[in-house]
Amino acid sequence: MGVAFDSIGFKASLCDGCGDCMTACSKAKGGASRISIVPGAKAGTFETAICRQCGDPKCVQVCPSGALDKDNGNGIIGWDASKCVDCLLCTAGCAYGGIAVDETVARVAKCDQCDGDPACVKVCPTGALEFRKAGTIFNEYGGKEDLFVPGLSGCQGCNSELIMRHAMRKIGRNSVLATPPGCIPGMGSVGYNGKTGTKVPVFHPLLTNTASMLSGIRRYYDRIGRKDIVVMALAGDGGTSDCGFHAVSGAAERGEKVLYVCVDNEGYMNTGMQRSGTTPYGSWTSTTPVGEHMKGKTQDAKNLPLIMTAHKCRYVATASTGYMEDLYEKLDRAIEASFEGFSYLHIYSPCPTGWRIPASKVIEACRMSVDSNFNPLWEYTNTRGLRFTHSPDNAYPITEYVKMIGKYRHLSPDQLAHIQAKVDEQVALLKLMAAESPPPQAAHRAPAGSSTPAGAESSQPARREIARN
Amino acid sequence: MTLRNVPDNMCPIATEYTTMLTGDWRALRPIVDRDRCVKCATCWLYCPVQCVVEKAAWFDFNYDFCKGCGICAEECPHRAIRMVEEAEG
Repeated sequence: MGVAFDSIGFKASLCDGCGDCMTACSKAKGGASRISIVPGAKAGTFETAICRQCGDPKCVQVCPSGALDKDNGNGIIGWDASKCVDCLLCTAGCAYGGIAVDETVARVAKCDQCDGDPACVKVCPTGALEFRKAGTIFNEYGGKEDLFVPGLSGCQGCNSELIMRHAMRKIGRNSVLATPPGCIPGMGSVGYNGKTGTKVPVFHPLLTNTASMLSGIRRYYDRIGRKDIVVMALAGDGGTSDCGFHAVSGAAERGEKVLYVCVDNEGYMNTGMQRSGTTPYGSWTSTTPVGEHMKGKTQDAKNLPLIMTAHKCRYVATASTGYMEDLYEKLDRAIEASFEGFSYLHIYSPCPTGWRIPASKVIEACRMSVDSNFNPLWEYTNTRGLRFTHSPDNAYPITEYVKMIGKYRHLSPDQLAHIQAKVDEQVALLKLMAAESPPPQAAHRAPAGSSTPAGAESSQPARREIARN
Repeated sequence: MTLRNVPDNMCPIATEYTTMLTGDWRALRPIVDRDRCVKCATCWLYCPVQCVVEKAAWFDFNYDFCKGCGICAEECPHRAIRMVEEAEG
């Protein structure tokens, strides 16, 4: 496996041209700013000129003195001041305006990404500049095996497929997977006619008994001394919050050592987009249609992860593929907790087919659902309480989120006000719970696994030992 | 692989992988501009099919499985991916 690099991304649609990034850059670097905000093609739009750290850099090719060089470890194109002869050829070679000239000293100046913590990104008030950490995740997990076959028949842009593949990549081969009826087995992960789409042992329980069957499997593995196996479910919201809820609740109450991942696409999407307990208020579904009298679902969604916190699970968290780093960290903690007790991960999964959104906009919808507090990201442990992993402050109004999604197209101002009120109410409750919990810094800085000091210590060596055998 | 002691009529146990080629669903094809790609892996991170493959200085796609959803082109922070119609291909 090769290597990928973190990168400064720029979203032109969010930039208001304030120039704070340029001020911060020249302050941090002492001299001319390495980033420039320039007027775009249309009036009122802006573009950046900043070194992109190209894969095949033209500036390096034209440099006659070898002062510019790409570091293949971190991807940064470095500039060696002692070798530079100030010919400025690189500024002409770069098609992106990525190399600036510091006119006070008549030398070139270029971005070095501030050692992985760019000053420009930190001050950007609109979020137009973003330091993308996808490279770090790729370097860590890109070489790990994708535990599903390449051809699964999820719809174009299916977010559940993305969640499955990343989750199993992280969890690895030492696992037994249950996929109750829904899109996840439906797209071919369980398979039929003697064929399977999953490279780990997978089975298809009933919609109602997933957590019960997993309890039995975990107890069997415990009995034969295989404590290294992750016993887990990838279930939809129907199989978790409605039909399967009694089994989930019971397994959580008994403290079964199971990892339960709920992929919440807010309805029974596999069978034709019927409403479920987690379908939000106002949503169009095939059983809450929009017509002269009915205007979508008339009840609010149940907050399933919050219900699971009331079960005193070892670990409960909400996650979204809009924030992948956060998702990977939570998977880490959820796996660890599943060796100690019930571990529940609720991942929001926009459905391009059932929600009426273009397939290409799914990740944007994920991000906006979090940024508008529609799906706040938090985690809970039975000892440390609740903490936000994404700040719920400065959220976008809910209208920014619902306008992206076709199933909300019919909403009246009254319905929108209702949704906004419910979102605010939910965040206020979560904030109360977070305020009652120990300080977030303590929870955040503790080393992994220390939330269950005695248990985690003892389970970890046992797990490694067995894995070696 | 043969499974002994499992009667044929008891329950089906899969012994082979599914071999569906989802690439033939595609209406739009992602094309990478190799000069613009900086290998930030954003496309790999968000590709639902995980059909993004790494090359020496850029990322490319396995067109046998790419369904053409366009997430990679939408998310690429360096606008290095564009979607073209298969017919124009």
